[in-house]
Amino acid sequence: MTDAKPRSLYVHVPFCRTICAYCDFRRYVYRSEAADAWLKAVEKELQAREVFHPETIYIGGGTPSALNDDQLETLLSLLDPFAEEVKEYTAEVNPETVREGLAERLARHSVNRISAGFQSSSKRLLKLMNRHHTEKDMERLFASFHQAGITNISLDLMYSLPSQTSSELQEAVETAVSYGPTHLSLYSLTIEENSVFGKKGLKPCDEDTEADMYEWIAERLRQCGYRQYEVSSFEREGHSSLHNCNVWNYHDFAGIGYGAWGMEQGIRYTHSETLKGYLQDPLYHKDVNLSEREQMFESLMMGLRLVEGLDRRLFLERFDQDPVSVYPSCMERFRKEGLMDWNEERVFCTGKGYMIMNNLLEEILEEADL
Amino acid sequence: MDQNHIRNFCIIAHIDHGKSTLADRILEMTETVSERDMKSQLLDEMDLERERGITIKLNAVQLKYKADDGEEYLFNLIDTPGHVDFTYEVSRSLAACEGAVLVVDATQGVQAQTLANTYLAIDNDLEIIPVINKVDMTNAMPEEVKQEIENIIGLDCSEAPLISARTGQNVKEVLEQIVRKIPAPSGSAEKPLKALVFDSFYDSYRGVIALVRIREGSISVGDRIRFMATGAEYEITEAGIRNPKEVPLKTLQCGDVGWFAASIKSIQDVRVGDTVTYADNPADEPLAGYRKMNPMVYCGLYPSDAAKYEDLHEALDKLKLNDASLQYEPETSQALGFGFRCGFLGLLHMDVIQERLEREYDLDLICTAPSVIYHVYLTDGTMLEIDNPAKMPDASRIDHIEEPYVKAEIMVGDAYIGPVMELCANKRGIYSGMDVIDSGRNMLVYEMPLSEIIYDFFDRLKSCSKGYASLDYELIGYRQEDLVRMDILLNGETVDALSVIIHRSEAYQRGSGITIRLKELIPRQQFEIPVQAAIGGKVIARTNIKSLRKNVLAKCYGGDISRKRKLLEKQKEGKKRMKAVGSVVIPQEAFMSVLSMDDNDRR
Repeated sequence: MTDAKPRSLYVHVPFCRTICAYCDFRRYVYRSEAADAWLKAVEKELQAREVFHPETIYIGGGTPSALNDDQLETLLSLLDPFAEEVKEYTAEVNPETVREGLAERLARHSVNRISAGFQSSSKRLLKLMNRHHTEKDMERLFASFHQAGITNISLDLMYSLPSQTSSELQEAVETAVSYGPTHLSLYSLTIEENSVFGKKGLKPCDEDTEADMYEWIAERLRQCGYRQYEVSSFEREGHSSLHNCNVWNYHDFAGIGYGAWGMEQGIRYTHSETLKGYLQDPLYHKDVNLSEREQMFESLMMGLRLVEGLDRRLFLERFDQDPVSVYPSCMERFRKEGLMDWNEERVFCTGKGYMIMNNLLEEILEEADL
Repeated sequence: MDQNHIRNFCIIAHIDHGKSTLADRILEMTETVSERDMKSQLLDEMDLERERGITIKLNAVQLKYKADDGEEYLFNLIDTPGHVDFTYEVSRSLAACEGAVLVVDATQGVQAQTLANTYLAIDNDLEIIPVINKVDMTNAMPEEVKQEIENIIGLDCSEAPLISARTGQNVKEVLEQIVRKIPAPSGSAEKPLKALVFDSFYDSYRGVIALVRIREGSISVGDRIRFMATGAEYEITEAGIRNPKEVPLKTLQCGDVGWFAASIKSIQDVRVGDTVTYADNPADEPLAGYRKMNPMVYCGLYPSDAAKYEDLHEALDKLKLNDASLQYEPETSQALGFGFRCGFLGLLHMDVIQERLEREYDLDLICTAPSVIYHVYLTDGTMLEIDNPAKMPDASRIDHIEEPYVKAEIMVGDAYIGPVMELCANKRGIYSGMDVIDSGRNMLVYEMPLSEIIYDFFDRLKSCSKGYASLDYELIGYRQEDLVRMDILLNGETVDALSVIIHRSEAYQRGSGITIRLKELIPRQQFEIPVQAAIGGKVIARTNIKSLRKNVLAKCYGGDISRKRKLLEKQKEGKKRMKAVGSVVIPQEAFMSVLSMDDNDRR
């Protein structure tokens, strides 16, 4: 069983003012003409599909706020018909692109959540990452969005950066918390082959340091009143990301724009490989047909990321099978070894299993024999 | 074509001196291969050969050449490997020839394998045509190199063609000299058939294909033949030559180099070196064959997936067909299950066989560290030949142990004598002399344990001489040494496949080196794993592999799902190349790592 209509809508804006050294997403340095052409293509893509009313909309990137005011207005207007029943409407914003009127414009179009790239408070590390915001930018961001009535603000924070010291990490966490975000996403640096870091041949920091940092941050955030609800996500006062929870619960989501992935009716799709290809044919979808077995595994892989775990009933409803009986040998063993457990509603990792989830998933993948 | 117009020759050279390039040019110039079909190093058929730029297998082609005397000649050209490990292959091809073209690089001069291969050719009574290659290079010194060949080898170089195989310059002169200097094959077409099998391979449709040199008589389709050593009889179904594509012929004449098929399904019936004769009119006695080579290096080969044992067996059977020097017999390891103990001519040979098994037969293998054959004398006076450290008897039963020694000849320039001598000393080498070959070059002679050469000596030699030193070695016998078996324990259990035999004086350094390296290579697992090195139950080194703390994808959103799943799949596949020994998962490299030696291990 799949959702009749996608629960979520994701729009990918493939432009940035500058390129971060760790990033390997589909993105281009912003040029006004390219963004205009891209907007035309997005318009075609949106017009070609029947309007539906997702629970969540997420404009990510790239940097949505890299678009100029007119372009942003056009994009938001195109999305207005889809936003009529939206519960959570997120836009990603880079602190240094916050300008006058931005917050009001977003709020006017029903945007009610901001996800901002903070990453670090260290000038040295920001420079290493080729990120350009200042403390002032951060303060202005919070002030202007609060003023526009958008108080649900999430910050991205990176750790295990090359050469990062523990005091730099602590300062970053304290600074981030001091702004009072409702949500924090905590990312250990992954050195992607196609990122600037990858091309420079940078090596990730060692496993113990990374684990130390992760444990320290998680504990500190807990003390500050944040609750971890997913591997990299912490929230305060019920502000978990509904959009991302939909993805982790393996609900369908529509993906709009060059670089976006979507999943609808058992088909995962992306658009043309190149921006040029997308502009020529925005309706082209490159499809990956997922077998039921693949969907079952992915659903588990995503569901286990949630602290509360995989929704056992939802899984049963979707696939007509109980997740525990699909992978009986792994499940029994992991339970015996204290790595996983389950109750009537959920299948979840224990604290020990949660930290080494990849190892568990590899073994489940072996049993799934895809 | 009549026998007087046939020339059978091979090309011999030190590795990288341009043998395969010269073969390419000859093929082009005799229009055997159209330019359209020409790809570089045509005779190096295996992907592995092209990738590594080395010739591993010999390969025979027939070509026609119209000489300056106006007559057409038939050439059978056999390409040969240049690496020390494959001297055996060279000796096989020499047995099928009357002459050899000796290629020497004008920028490097005579190297260790130039000497070794030339001596082999002289032993086989071949006419040798020296050729100076790469004369178009700016640092070429053709006159000096000619002088060197005359001084060191004693070959007359006054007529040696100065060529560039790369550009084709003067290659025609090589062809002319082949016509003029190499004798036509001598045998008689009237006598009963005698054909030397110098190579063979397996074709799934036609069975075993034998490559032969016809010494006496001829072979025709329909003939009933007998393999003299095995006694097996077959009827020839197909015969022909290669140019380098297969060209079927009705008859292979006396003097020819060609191939035949005879629906031979039983691989064991065909032995390289055997003589083929008529079943009903046999020759009196077989041809001499050639020097048989014995394996010097042994290692265990195990399928990562135990279910592939039979596949591995079959693959080894097929590889052995055209690699008579490969030896193997079944063995069992507590850690690795069922596999084979395989004997190789050297490390490169071992490497090549492993890679061929993995590529051509799609097998995932676990290879144990290579070992030599030790002579273990027991207190009761008996002697055991031990090629697997795990089989070493208990120390209380051993009187003494002997290990094989080689004489290693290393040719090296003045500038690198110091580092090379240091390397040899580190490898327990005993200096036995140094000859000055000519200004700036020397032949260092060492006696050293073969076990020290087989692992990484060659690589190290290359790196400490900027690639200039060259090596040749031969076995000189067994010597008593104070050797001990060191066992490696993971999580308290001895892993038999990780045991090594080492010199007692080095036990502590090696033990700690190995445990540290295993700690780096074995991925952290869900529990802490002690790694210990022990001699006769006494632990001499120990370290711990800490338990895995964190392995979880940092982030995963909608766009990442496929990618993350692929990542997991890749990691999972990676683990397939590891072996679960008890509760510990060990990667393939770990088994080899016990022999690798960091510079600081011995200090």
